[in-house]
Amino acid sequence: MLGAAGSKRSEARAGQVRTTAGAPAIGTSSGAAGAPSGRGAKTIEVKGVSLYYGDFQAVEDVTMKIEPNKVTALIGSSGCGKTTFLRALNRMHELTPGAAVEGEISLDGEDVYGAGVDPVQVRRLVGMVFQSPNPFPTMSVYENVAAGLSLNAKRMKKAEMDAVVERSLRGANLWEEVKDRLDKAGSGLSGGQQQRLCIARAIAVEPEVLLMDEPCSALDPVATLAIEDLIRELKDRYTIAIVTHNMQQAARASDLTAFFNLEKSGRPGRLIEIGPTETIFTKPAQQATEDYVSGRFG
Amino acid sequence: MPESARTEYQEELNNLEASALGGLDLVSTALSRTLEAVEHQDIELAQIVVADDDRIDGRYLEVHQSLITLLATQSPVATDLRLISALLHVLKNIERMGDQCVNVCKVIPLTGNEPPADARMVGLIVAMGKQSRALIAQAKRAFAERNVEMARDLVRQDDIVDDLNRDGFRLALEIGDDADKREWAMTMLLAARAIERIGDNAVDIGEQVAFVVTGLFREFEDASHPNA
Repeated sequence: MLGAAGSKRSEARAGQVRTTAGAPAIGTSSGAAGAPSGRGAKTIEVKGVSLYYGDFQAVEDVTMKIEPNKVTALIGSSGCGKTTFLRALNRMHELTPGAAVEGEISLDGEDVYGAGVDPVQVRRLVGMVFQSPNPFPTMSVYENVAAGLSLNAKRMKKAEMDAVVERSLRGANLWEEVKDRLDKAGSGLSGGQQQRLCIARAIAVEPEVLLMDEPCSALDPVATLAIEDLIRELKDRYTIAIVTHNMQQAARASDLTAFFNLEKSGRPGRLIEIGPTETIFTKPAQQATEDYVSGRFG
Repeated sequence: MPESARTEYQEELNNLEASALGGLDLVSTALSRTLEAVEHQDIELAQIVVADDDRIDGRYLEVHQSLITLLATQSPVATDLRLISALLHVLKNIERMGDQCVNVCKVIPLTGNEPPADARMVGLIVAMGKQSRALIAQAKRAFAERNVEMARDLVRQDDIVDDLNRDGFRLALEIGDDADKREWAMTMLLAARAIERIGDNAVDIGEQVAFVVTGLFREFEDASHPNA
């Protein structure tokens, strides 16, 4: 199931996989086509996770909980593995050739890497928003939002689809700005609007978790604040994890902050500390966290 | 980013701390002069203390403004943020201590050139002042060294000032029936009260030391619930 299906680690790991008893919340390969049902935000539990690119270990032994209806910020210097870690949460890490995962990641107790779990279904439940807004360039605003639905769900009636598109665009605080140009190209929107369009696309499939990888790094301050407001609204419905290089953004937008660090270049990144954002930015427990958030190194 | 980044900002913050704590030296000088003015009924020296308080106020305004600028431009967090927050408090304490010296110096001329002074009362006020001056020095050192134990000890040192202040009340009651003498004694009680407040401000600075180190603000002693 892993990208590095032939590697020793994956094989070793395969032995640890627990089969999910009862009706799994995460669709299996055989039953993945079911329409999304009403769900709430879920807890992601990570236990002893190490991540590899071939022989290179990018992340070592991370254990943490990403709580529902909270925004968890992942901070740390470049190369500390936070984006790799984020991508492992929805099984995107394994799309890189040679990539491997050790340890356990579960979504409300369901093993994300369990035998028979369909990675595509995992990615539907755990949506991702990327660094640069990446709407499908040839598609209209409407089609961009509907794209995930047409890929994932059973055929929908036009009226039903219209409702989902509107609800998603409203959820992303974009509806008022685009309702009169739904048939225009998504790439014609401003950078901030494009990013909100991508968020609308991600929430259209009703995920339980939203992962965001530096969602504001390509945006100006006003668009950034609009996205941060949106993140705060979205946490009422989703579990949110956000990777950011902007310390003030972590301070403003998150409830919990996890600091990743690596001893030196070439060594794997580790989770140094996770705690309430207020604590991390006023009285962190670890000196390394203090030095990083104070900008003394990094 | 290099191993040790933000050196200029760090230097600026260090300088501002030194500048703020230097305000305690200004207060210490003002208090010494105040005591001398009380001891010798030196009205002229008292006026100098009043005029010189502008220097303490100036220090307050200057460092306060620079700290606000650091907050606005450098987004300090963690220890730096706690330090800046504490320094803003300490500056206010320093400014208040300067004002208390002024309060004492303003009552000195009220008692005239040759007041019916009582040596025991004067001695008591001078003793309170010297003890408060020791508290100021201890508060400064505790802050500079981030020494919570030394900061906590300020409470014990301040108790000595408080006890002397209570003795002052007793002395004032025992001073006799002479109206001029009683009026003088009451004026001296105002001076004693002002000096007692200087000790309290030094204890407040100690509480800020504990905040910088631990991240928790707790009053060392709760005056509203002394037995709690």
